[in-house]
Amino acid sequence: MSEEIRIGVFVCDCGTNIAGVVDVLEVTEYARGLENVVMADEGKWSCSVDYLTKMKELIQQHNINRVVIASCTPRTHEPLFKRTIKEAGINPYLLEFVSIREQVSWVHMKEPEIATLKAKDLIKMGVAKAALLEEGQEIRLPVKTDCLIIGGGMAGMNAALSVADQGFNAFLVEKEPQLGGILNNVCFISHDNQKTPAARVVQTKADQVHAHPNITVYTHTGIEAVEGYIGNYKVKLKSNGDGSTNDLDISTMIVATGMKELEPEGQFEYGNDPRVITQLQLDDMLRKKQLEDIKNAVMISCVNSKNETRGCCNIGCHTSVKNAVALKHLRKDANIYILYRDMSLIKEEGTAQQSAKRLGVKFLRFPDDRYPEVRNENGNLMVKVYDLLVGREFELPSDLLVLTTAFKGDETVEQIRGHLKVSANPDRFFQESHVKLGPLEFATDGISLAGCAKAPMTFKESCEEGIGSAMKASIPMNRGYIETEGIVAHIDLTDCTQCGLCSKRCPYNAITVDKEENPEVLQALCKGCGLCAADCPAECISIVHYSDDQVFAQVEAALEENPEKKIVAFVCHWCALGGVDMAGVSRLQYPSNARLIRVMCSARVSLKMMQRPFELGAAGVLVAGCEFPTCHYIEGNYAAEKRLKRAKRRMAKAGYDPEKLWNIWCSAADGPKFATTMRTMVKELKLD
Amino acid sequence: MSDSILVIGGGIAGINCAMNAAKYGTKVYLVDDTASIGGMMARLDKTFPTNDCSICIEAPQMYEVDNHENIEILTNTEVRKVKKVNGSFKVKLVRKAKYVDEEKCTGCGACAEACPVSVPDSLDGKVGGMRKLISMAFPQAVPNMVTVDPSCRFGEMRKAGACIGECAVDCSQCRECPIALCVKACEKEGKKAIVLWQSNKNLSIDVKSIVVATGIKNAQPVGDLLGYDKYENVITNTEFERLMNAGGPTAGEIIRPSDKKHAKKIAWIQCVGRGLAEGKGTPYCSKICCMISTKQTIITKEHDADAETTIFYNDLKAYGKGFWDFYRKAVENGVKYVRGRPYEVFEDSETKNLIIRYENLDCGELKKEEVELLVLATGIVPNDRNKRLAKVLKVKLDELGYFKEKDPLLASLETNVEGIYLCGGATGPIDIAESVVQATAASLKAVSFHS
Repeated sequence: MSEEIRIGVFVCDCGTNIAGVVDVLEVTEYARGLENVVMADEGKWSCSVDYLTKMKELIQQHNINRVVIASCTPRTHEPLFKRTIKEAGINPYLLEFVSIREQVSWVHMKEPEIATLKAKDLIKMGVAKAALLEEGQEIRLPVKTDCLIIGGGMAGMNAALSVADQGFNAFLVEKEPQLGGILNNVCFISHDNQKTPAARVVQTKADQVHAHPNITVYTHTGIEAVEGYIGNYKVKLKSNGDGSTNDLDISTMIVATGMKELEPEGQFEYGNDPRVITQLQLDDMLRKKQLEDIKNAVMISCVNSKNETRGCCNIGCHTSVKNAVALKHLRKDANIYILYRDMSLIKEEGTAQQSAKRLGVKFLRFPDDRYPEVRNENGNLMVKVYDLLVGREFELPSDLLVLTTAFKGDETVEQIRGHLKVSANPDRFFQESHVKLGPLEFATDGISLAGCAKAPMTFKESCEEGIGSAMKASIPMNRGYIETEGIVAHIDLTDCTQCGLCSKRCPYNAITVDKEENPEVLQALCKGCGLCAADCPAECISIVHYSDDQVFAQVEAALEENPEKKIVAFVCHWCALGGVDMAGVSRLQYPSNARLIRVMCSARVSLKMMQRPFELGAAGVLVAGCEFPTCHYIEGNYAAEKRLKRAKRRMAKAGYDPEKLWNIWCSAADGPKFATTMRTMVKELKLD
Repeated sequence: MSDSILVIGGGIAGINCAMNAAKYGTKVYLVDDTASIGGMMARLDKTFPTNDCSICIEAPQMYEVDNHENIEILTNTEVRKVKKVNGSFKVKLVRKAKYVDEEKCTGCGACAEACPVSVPDSLDGKVGGMRKLISMAFPQAVPNMVTVDPSCRFGEMRKAGACIGECAVDCSQCRECPIALCVKACEKEGKKAIVLWQSNKNLSIDVKSIVVATGIKNAQPVGDLLGYDKYENVITNTEFERLMNAGGPTAGEIIRPSDKKHAKKIAWIQCVGRGLAEGKGTPYCSKICCMISTKQTIITKEHDADAETTIFYNDLKAYGKGFWDFYRKAVENGVKYVRGRPYEVFEDSETKNLIIRYENLDCGELKKEEVELLVLATGIVPNDRNKRLAKVLKVKLDELGYFKEKDPLLASLETNVEGIYLCGGATGPIDIAESVVQATAASLKAVSFHS
């Protein structure tokens, strides 16, 4: 760009919030004298409608093409100012936000002169970066309306129907010859203390699916190959019968591959004695009415669950109560024992246990580390169990021994995760993007996740997940595109060594490698964390708004005067800056030595960025990221932590004191942590 | 016919419901009857089983809905009347006055600094947070603005030292106020955002569908159950959560109410109030309390590795993905789990320590244990607003007081009224992830509903 750089600086008083401490007039005057600055203005309330109008007028009047706003915090006010400069005709990526309230006036209230000095420094840094800013734009990728649903169980059928009902095309793939999944083996579903035959539920849904004009069902079919990304998947299906294939153009995908019972081969005589069965096999026998005269039945809970490798199966207790009652209904005088560790029954399920007790089902708790023992005594199956409550052992005869066993993901998971480049745990359950707030999607855009493919869950939960995942898939299909903020990675192939590291490291599968082994960023999938740029050994990746040049310009401006007194702090936007803001809101006072540089993720901070301040004589460097395990970019802070260790070794070699490179992992609620770190750092670096 | 939808409740379920619908392309009214969106999650310190910082992951979503062009957030707003006309719901809302101009307030807090009266923050309960009569719900509040306590505005806080309240006329009669210190402070900042004469506003909207996301409530211990009303150092798990929180009343110091000293020996009692007669306790398992206590012990150990922590429990509910490992982590960190039923709690009047008498269910023996701080896991109960709202919406409640699904098996999250859907704590005790799932599912139903 050869156009003349014309920067406008707007300094906010925030009433007396800033102006009460910082000499805003002086700061504005100072800003006016900085290179490339053509105007600077002081505003009493920059965010008021009146001032925003004035701001737009000033921008146009002075022909400004870069804006620096010095006010509160970008976390709350950046969208507003971005909108404003856009209305004034400037690309919103040409805005640089400087925080002189949360980072200055509120935290150095008793030192107006020092605060004024710091405000000037921060504005100088902002102006230096602004001069190098380049236009950006939201990136769109078109998405059509063809959705592939993998798995035709309850989650998958609900997903398909929800997608199809909106007029989108649903392609439902099921590896078995019929729809229904694990529910095909279940006798009845119990909910709200009512019983509904599972077959009826499956039939109702399957009929709806088959009758829907927008759903194409492929039963007895597997996934042979998947290529591409959201809006542009090429999927090859292969029939498990005749081996014929089908090629589909797919826009979004939903993974609903369900789960399987983990058969307890060799445990509790399972596999040796036909009277020992699993809970699902019992359900199947009940369904087929194969059981009549069971006088003595014993159920053992938590088989292969709640141990070193596996957690609670979530549905076992509920299922055992349901099936115990069913056995009781078959024969009123039957002796049914449920041997358990913890009865995990929630809300109404507790009532179901009460009615089971009333019917005469016996519940017997055994110790976590002392499972019941099963032996064959003259053809009779005997279960020896230690009853915790009574404090002694019992021997129970059993004509039927039912094991409430753990679950695993479907065996096709290994293959599918390879096709989709997503992760699953050792039990073959898929890993959702965020345990709390991203339960229905993978980190990769365009692929949703539902039901027991993620973890064992109840019938009702599976249905809800199916519908929810359909919403996730439908959002881009309904809009016709996905859009991402323009803060994305660009790769300059000139110096690229084709090492492939960027593609491997990207947590979002946003960097592909083409046939010539050149990496390419699918910008619509890039979230702009900057991990790839920081790790690229050839330094050929840049991040819009956070390029090396821009960050170094900030570093240099910060250290132009008295570098030996200053700390350069790289702070992640999501959590650490939240902590900084929280310290501000709480008016926690701390030393003013730090000059903060915002990055989207601590993973953006490269080895060079960590070292550059020391080359310029800085007293210390701080890298501040999200508190583990939180990270807005999945695990950027983990990457940063590893890199910090390398940086220290490198620094020592280069002759700098690695003890001066600090880091904190700070939550957005933890203002005190940031303030304390500042105090400690200043003390230990002997800056006080 | 309207193409908008209404989401009632701005907690994590309501936020996700609104967000998904808005991204889909539908206009959303997101209504909450408190001063800020955020709900219960905004007050939590951490979330199980990962110990993510709660506000760190929720606040970006709050800002996102706040900035979304398809979402209109209405806080301090109640749903008063709903009528179905020509396939749309005509909804009458009341925006209760905050006595602050939402357009003008910037949340700078100068008014709160000037306010002479601090009152206990009822949301912090016994752990003693204070707030001014004009205050922000919490630092990350959306919208980021203050609210005047109605009791001050109506002159009831004069005795407590409030600057207003003895005028001959009510505030509603004036259009400026020469005496209120908050008003002065705001004017000094060059703003006129505080409007003590503001009145409630009626608002009428048309929507095609409604999602109920009113959330859950933590049960309060009834009477002197396990000493809660009698002894200072007996608190609820919600109150303990505030103690752990760096943004809470003690800045994250786990100190006990009686002497503000760090508690070194803490016990949690699970299933408090379970099985009590109706109206007194929680008659069912609330699902999430075992993991809440597990989380609280792990965080306590992080604050102070030497702290002794014991959980008295009946049946461990480690039902979700990663929950069992979370429990094991607690055990590895030295948390003691005792399967036991505490039946009495006494206070040592000198030390203010608590002596718990309990029956150890593993051996049947009666035992006792002395601790410095006792935390009661009281369970989850339906929200107070459910009854009134159910009546307004003509939607049925179940016998426990949660909103009832018409057909939980074949028509998830639908109610007896076509076009009204449910998600989150409105349906029963639930954790955050499940709330998000339901909210996403309900948002699909709501946006694609055509009568």
